[in-house]
Amino acid sequence: MDFFEQQADARRRSGRLIVYFILAVVAIVLAVYFVALIALSMAGGDRPGVPNPYAESPWHPGLFALVALATIGLIFLGSLYKISQLSSGGEAVALMLGGRLIDSQTRDLAERRLLNVVEEMALASGTPVPPVYVMDNEPSINAFAAGHEPGDAVIGVSRGSLEYLNRDELQGVMAHEFSHILNGDMRTNLRLVGILHGILILAILGWFVLRSTAFSGHRSRRSSSSKEGGGAVAVILVVGVGLLVVGSIGLFFGKLIKSAVSRQREYLADASAVQFTRLPEGIAGALKKIGGRKESSKIEDAHAEEVSHMFFGNAFGSLQSNLLSTHPPLAERVRRIDPSFDGNFPKRVKPVKIAADEVGAKPRKKPGKPLEAIGAGGTTPLDPTGVLRRIGLPGMEAILYAAALLESMPEPVRNAAHEPYGARAVIYALLLDRDPQMRQKQLDALRPKAEELSYRETERLAPQIDRLPDEARVPLIETTFPALKKLSPEQYTRFRENVELLIAADEQVDLLEYTIHSMLLRNLDVQFGRAKPLAVRHHRLDPLLPSLVAVLSMLAHAGQTDEADVRRAFDKGMAEVGRSGTLQSKSEGSLRNLDAALKSLAEAGPKLKKQILAACVACVAADGKVTPREGELVQAVAAMLGVPVPPIGAQA
Amino acid sequence: MGALIWILIAFAVIFVLLVLMVVGIYNKLVALKNRFKNAFAQIDVQLKRRYDLIPNLVEVAKGYMKHERGTLEAVIQARNQAAAAGQQAAQNPGDPAAMKSLGSAEGQLTGALGRLFALSENYPDLKANQNMLSLQEELSSTENKVAFSRQAYNDAVMRYNTARETFPNVIFAGMFNFHEADLFEIEEEQQREAPKVSF
Repeated sequence: MDFFEQQADARRRSGRLIVYFILAVVAIVLAVYFVALIALSMAGGDRPGVPNPYAESPWHPGLFALVALATIGLIFLGSLYKISQLSSGGEAVALMLGGRLIDSQTRDLAERRLLNVVEEMALASGTPVPPVYVMDNEPSINAFAAGHEPGDAVIGVSRGSLEYLNRDELQGVMAHEFSHILNGDMRTNLRLVGILHGILILAILGWFVLRSTAFSGHRSRRSSSSKEGGGAVAVILVVGVGLLVVGSIGLFFGKLIKSAVSRQREYLADASAVQFTRLPEGIAGALKKIGGRKESSKIEDAHAEEVSHMFFGNAFGSLQSNLLSTHPPLAERVRRIDPSFDGNFPKRVKPVKIAADEVGAKPRKKPGKPLEAIGAGGTTPLDPTGVLRRIGLPGMEAILYAAALLESMPEPVRNAAHEPYGARAVIYALLLDRDPQMRQKQLDALRPKAEELSYRETERLAPQIDRLPDEARVPLIETTFPALKKLSPEQYTRFRENVELLIAADEQVDLLEYTIHSMLLRNLDVQFGRAKPLAVRHHRLDPLLPSLVAVLSMLAHAGQTDEADVRRAFDKGMAEVGRSGTLQSKSEGSLRNLDAALKSLAEAGPKLKKQILAACVACVAADGKVTPREGELVQAVAAMLGVPVPPIGAQA
Repeated sequence: MGALIWILIAFAVIFVLLVLMVVGIYNKLVALKNRFKNAFAQIDVQLKRRYDLIPNLVEVAKGYMKHERGTLEAVIQARNQAAAAGQQAAQNPGDPAAMKSLGSAEGQLTGALGRLFALSENYPDLKANQNMLSLQEELSSTENKVAFSRQAYNDAVMRYNTARETFPNVIFAGMFNFHEADLFEIEEEQQREAPKVSF
C-alpha cells in the first residue's frame, strides 16, 4: 500500500470510528435513561393513592427525550471543547502531559542526540522537522507523535527513553513514530482524543456530583427532617452514582474504540520502522528494554488514559494484552521483528553512556552515493513512478542522505537555523534573488521593516546560503521549523509581513521563491491559529482542472525555455491525468492565481493527490532529466499539497 | 413532587455547564502559563551562554589591562549575581520578585560591561586582539538573542495576564492560584543615572 492508499485507508478507518462512537453514545443514553428511571421511581415517594408513574411503566417518551437531549448535548459539548483545544496541533498534547520543549541549542548530549535523530528522519521523509518535547517526570521508556499533519506534529519522549536507549534503538522508536505521522494514524489518533473526551467527562461529572452530595447531604439531614428532604438527597446521590456508572460505561466504550483502532496499527508501525531503518535490532532492542524494566512503558501522568493510544508502548505498563488494550502483547511485537526471541526479557537494563561521537549519525558500512555526485549543477534521470513509490516510505538511503546533507551545511547556517532569532534571517537570506540589482531592491525594502540587527544577520548569512547546493535549500527550510514555531504570535506576524515584502520587492513571479514562502506559511499559519488544518473537499478531478492547468503551466515554464519544450512538458503532465488543457502563458501566471490553485489542489482527497503529483513529476521529468532546481520545485509543490516527498537527490 | 424533580434537573444541568466552563478556563490559563514558561526557558539558554562568555572575556582583557582590576572584578561580580538571579528566575518564571531581581542584576551587568568596553578603548592592543574581537562578537550576538527571546516572553506574559484579567476568567484566577506574571524588563543603569540636560 503506498502513501496515498494509506491516507485513503486512514480516512475510511476514521469513518468506522464515528460509527463505533455513535453506538457508544446510544448505549450511554440508554444507560442514563435507566438510571433516571430508577432515581425517579425511588423519589416518587409513597404518597398513598397516587401511583408513581415511573415505577409503573418503563417507557416515558418525555423523559427519554429529555435524557437523550441532555446526554447527547453534554457529550457533544465535551468533545467539541476538546477538539477545539487540540485544533492548534500536537503542542496541546505535549503540554497536557507536562512536556518540556527541548531547546535546539541544548548541551545535554542525550537531548542533542535525540534532536539529530529526529532531524535526520524528518528530512529523509520530506517533512518539516517537528519540535521535540521531553516528559521529565516519566522514568519509563515511551514516546508519542501528535498532530493533525506533519506541519503541526510534535514528538514527545519520556525521560527514560533518553537515558536507557542507544542511538539505534532511539532511531527505531522515532521511525515507528514517523510512520504513524506519515501513514495517517497520527491524525486519526488525535481526532479520537477529541471525540472520546465527551464520553469520558461523564465519569468526571459523576465524581463532582457525588462529592457535592456528600457535603450537602450532611447539611440537609441536620436541617430537614421531612422524608421529602431525605428523598431529594437520595435522588441526587443516585444521580451521582448513576453518572459514575454511566461514566464507567463511557470509559469502557472509549477503551474499546481505541483498542479497535490502534492495536493492529502498532504491528504495522513496527514493520514500517524496520523497513525505514533496515535495522531490526533498533526497534527490537527498545521493545526488549521496555520489557526488562519494572517501569516498562508506564506513563504516570493523570492524562495518560486520554491519549493512551498515541504512545509507542502500553501507557499502563502492561506487557500483556486484552480486549481493551491499546497495544498488542510486548513479546509478540518483539517476535514479529526478531523471530528468534525466546520470550525472556533482559533481567537488568542499564542506562547508556553517550559518547560525544554518538550524537551525530554514524557512517554506515553500506556504500552510498556520495553527496558531491548529486547536485552541483548535475542532473539525475528521474523515475516518476519511483518518486511516487517512495513517498511516505523513505528508506535508509534517505536517512543517510539527510545526515550527509546536514553535515555539509556550514555550521553558522545550521546554528542560526536552530534558534528563532537566526532562523528568520536564514529565511530572509533564502528569499534573496540571485540577481544583484533585484537583491538590492529586496534588501532596501527589508531594511526599514526588520530590526537593524536582524537585517545585518541576514546580510551576514547571505553569502553562505548562496553557496548552498540547490537540493539543500528545501531541507534547510525544514530544519528552521522548530525555531520558527517558538516565535510569539506578534513576532510571527512581523516575520510573515517581512517574508511577503521580500517576495513582492523583486517584482517577479519567482516560482521557487513563492513555493518556499507557501510551504513555510502553510505549516506555520496552522500553528499560530491563522489557518485551519486542511480538509478534504474534492474527490473528482474535473473541478480542480483549472488549478492543475495553472500549476502545470508554471512548472513547464520554470523547467524549460524553448516554447516547444514547454508545450511538451505541459502536455506530458496533462496526459498523466488523461485530460487535455490549454497551456497558460507565462504572463497569465500571477502569484495570486498560483496561490489559489495550490490551495484548492491541497484540498483534494488522497487518491486524487497522487494523480496530481504524478502529473507534476511527469511534467518536470518530460525532458528526460531533472535539475536540482526542478527537484526543489516538486518538493515545494508537494509540501503545499501536504505530501511528504523524500529528497529527490536521495533516489539511489 | 414532580416540580421538585424538574427543578433539581435544571440545577444539575446548570451545574454541569458551569463545571465545563470552569474547566475550560482552568485549562486555558494553564496552557498560557506553560507558554510563557517555555518562552522563559529560551531566554535562559541565551543568558547562560552570555554568563559563560564573560569569564573568558575578562581573562583575555586581564592580560592587557593589568591595572584595571577594579573594573574587571566589578564585571565578574555583576556576572555572578546575574547568574544567581537567572537561576532563581528559571525556577519560577514570571514571579515578580525573581523577575525584578533578574532585571536589575542584568542591568548592572550591562552597565559593568559597558564600562569595561569603554575602558578598553585606551588599550589598542587589546582591541586588536583576535580572541577579544571574536568574544565580543559572540557576546553581542548573544545579547541580540536575549533581547529577541525577551520580547517573545513578554508577549506571552501579556497574553496570559490579559486572559487572567478578563471576565469571567478573573473570578476563578485567584481561586486556582494563577497569579499575575511579571514582564522581564532590564533596568538600564545609564537611564537612571543620565543627568537631565536642559537647553
